[in-house]
Amino acid sequence: MSQAATTAGSVPASSVASTEQYNYAIVKRFAIAAVLWGVFGMAAGVWIASQLAFPFLNFDIAQITFGRFRPVHTTAVIFGFGGNALFATSYYVVQRTCQTRLYSDSLSSFTFYGWNLALILGVITYMMGITQGREYAEFNWQIDIIILVVWVAYFWIYLQTLLRRNQPHIYVANWFFMSFILATALLHIFNNLEVPVGIFHSHSYPLFSGVQDAMRQWWYGHNAVGFFLTAAFLGMMYYFVPKQAGRPIYSYKLSIIHFWALVFLYMWVGAHHLHWTALPDWVSTLAATFSILLLLPSWGGMINGIMTLSGAWDKLRTDPIMLFLITALSFYGMSTFEGPMMSLKSVNALSHYTDWTVGHVHSGALGWVAMITFGSLYHLIPRLWGVNLYSLKLVYVHFFLATIGIVLYITAMWVAGIGQGLMLRAFDQYGNLAYTFTESVVFLHRPYVVRAIGGGFFLAGMLIMAWNIAMTVRMGIKSEAREREEARAAEARTA
Amino acid sequence: MSTQDNRDKNQGDKNQVETTGHVWDENLQEYNNPLPRWWLWGFYATVVFALVYWLIYPAWPIGDTFTKGFATITYEVDGEERTTHWNTRALLARDMQTGEYAVRQREMLEQVAAQDYETILADADSMSFVNAYAQGSFGTWCAACHQVGGAGVIGQYPNLRNDHWKWGGTVDQIEQTIREGRLGYMPGYRNTLSSDQLNEVAAYVLALNDYDVDADMADAGERIFTGMEGGCFQCHGEEGQGLASQGAPNLTNNLWGLIDVPGAESDSERLRLVSNFIRDGIQREMPGFADRLSDDEIKMLTAYVHSLGGGQ
Repeated sequence: MSQAATTAGSVPASSVASTEQYNYAIVKRFAIAAVLWGVFGMAAGVWIASQLAFPFLNFDIAQITFGRFRPVHTTAVIFGFGGNALFATSYYVVQRTCQTRLYSDSLSSFTFYGWNLALILGVITYMMGITQGREYAEFNWQIDIIILVVWVAYFWIYLQTLLRRNQPHIYVANWFFMSFILATALLHIFNNLEVPVGIFHSHSYPLFSGVQDAMRQWWYGHNAVGFFLTAAFLGMMYYFVPKQAGRPIYSYKLSIIHFWALVFLYMWVGAHHLHWTALPDWVSTLAATFSILLLLPSWGGMINGIMTLSGAWDKLRTDPIMLFLITALSFYGMSTFEGPMMSLKSVNALSHYTDWTVGHVHSGALGWVAMITFGSLYHLIPRLWGVNLYSLKLVYVHFFLATIGIVLYITAMWVAGIGQGLMLRAFDQYGNLAYTFTESVVFLHRPYVVRAIGGGFFLAGMLIMAWNIAMTVRMGIKSEAREREEARAAEARTA
Repeated sequence: MSTQDNRDKNQGDKNQVETTGHVWDENLQEYNNPLPRWWLWGFYATVVFALVYWLIYPAWPIGDTFTKGFATITYEVDGEERTTHWNTRALLARDMQTGEYAVRQREMLEQVAAQDYETILADADSMSFVNAYAQGSFGTWCAACHQVGGAGVIGQYPNLRNDHWKWGGTVDQIEQTIREGRLGYMPGYRNTLSSDQLNEVAAYVLALNDYDVDADMADAGERIFTGMEGGCFQCHGEEGQGLASQGAPNLTNNLWGLIDVPGAESDSERLRLVSNFIRDGIQREMPGFADRLSDDEIKMLTAYVHSLGGGQ
């Protein structure tokens, strides 16, 4: 056990030398930012979940009411926690797998400050009530431009680093990162085509209107899930799972086929968010069927990740980081099964406009995105600072808190969503609607309480992680200082 | 057993396939296992599913039209039967025309529409339908203020469950209230009466409801109430019995919607509540629903509200 535990948390000796070869400073900054945004974003989530259960908790303060704080939560967790983690891991992975230093220190530093500035401005403006009202794209037009510039820089850095690689082949993780960067640029630009009211005015009008605008928004919204929250994190998975397992990826062939199937199919499915609306029926059909077609390509990533561990399952007993990674893949498989089912028109008629959707999103966001990120950061951070993790036991504690939290959250939302859906469509013997909307809200109270508790568990795990990482980084900084001291002493001796 | 042993053993017996030969970052490699059979066949199955779906339903755009699919829906347009390719608008139209629930509800709506209030209130079948239907309308339009069930909020929104009708409790008066809304107004007397006088009127109003008060104060209050100095009688009546046309409530039935008199902790607190209310007055508005609800809906809501508090 003790030996295995060391294996799980130990760091190759070469990592100190790597600091010269690779730009680790930028990776460190993004990794720390990811943890900070994670704490803030998840706390915001627990806060608004509690407000839904107990509305008095908004204390009549406009800035923290659900309506304004919800985009604060989504922005902080998706773009703050997820985005910073993607910057950190993609910058790390591209350097390690291309065996070359990241292109331009100053430009990559610019992406760090630019990205986080945009997010902070976003949080402040949402609380002031300034929003475009487009889900996951609430930033007003000035912030959109900052993000665009940052993103183009990100793309350029990534491309230039790939071009400078000292490896004949491009590793699969980089395909996913590259497709995520390209698709996100496309999505961000197209969904934010708008006409500002004035240069010094935060408001703008979207270029399209009505059903076209709704389609554009959900083409963006679902591909934010598809490319930002799926493809990119698969990139993370393709590096950190085989690294942590110490085993080769299961199938190169599968990775090629599911990569192309995934990036081709995702682009079609956004309209399944608009079933049974003014949307033309043929658009609904294509969205539903392409969602079904997407099921197996999504699972390709899960199979490749989980089968990589095949033959080394004992690691799950000894390595909590591996637990995070494999559980993430399991939740990924589960939510990518649930998603296509919910995109069928008949299922959607029940699930749409209910908390089932919210539960589905979180089984992906907490179960897949957050868990794979936790695992990757636990692998990454000790290597960046050249020390062992402060405590592997705390990683276990984090794992169990997070898992309990997710299970409470998802089951509460299944109960809430399916119950709500059934109440809203129930008829009495006269053909009247059996329930009023208000009655469905009353019914939701208990699942909402359970959901807030589940979120609390997840947040508690996140706080433990932040502590664990802070202590690890402290150890790292101390040992670096000691090494410098020794080197200076050695120099003095020779002189 | 160490991890290294495990790895060697497994590479030896389980994975016969070769890696691609590429190595990244010291030890990142890829096996080249074939696609799992179940995965491949699963994917083919979803392709078949999609193809069949596309054959049945509207699916692919071609120029300015689209493939219609083989499924059809038959429904009625202006009395004529029409068959069209499957689409959600036709589906809704057919459901509203022939769906079990829609047909049942339409029958009941026609029955109630043909009856006058007296018949509806006496007809158990109609009333049962009206209660079920109007509970939904009430939840949608009224409950935001009057609360689910109609108990209201003391000090803000009238309770509809008691026998206290400020604007009258006959079906015609209730219908007028729903149709046109109401503006409730009582002026404040802070500039008209002194605080002693306010207390005297309050004592009189409490006496009307059989509360123990100082008899001299109540007598003085009665003179203000029924005289021109207070002029309260002009709306509330000489006996405090109220006047529905002005929305002036009966002050003698011990039913209080704006201040919690029965719940007051002491006699002096009770007097203070009433006195302060007379000092401040009140203005309230209920919006009209004539433009938002159909005549039948207003009719059913009227019968429902009438039955809530035992109408007059």
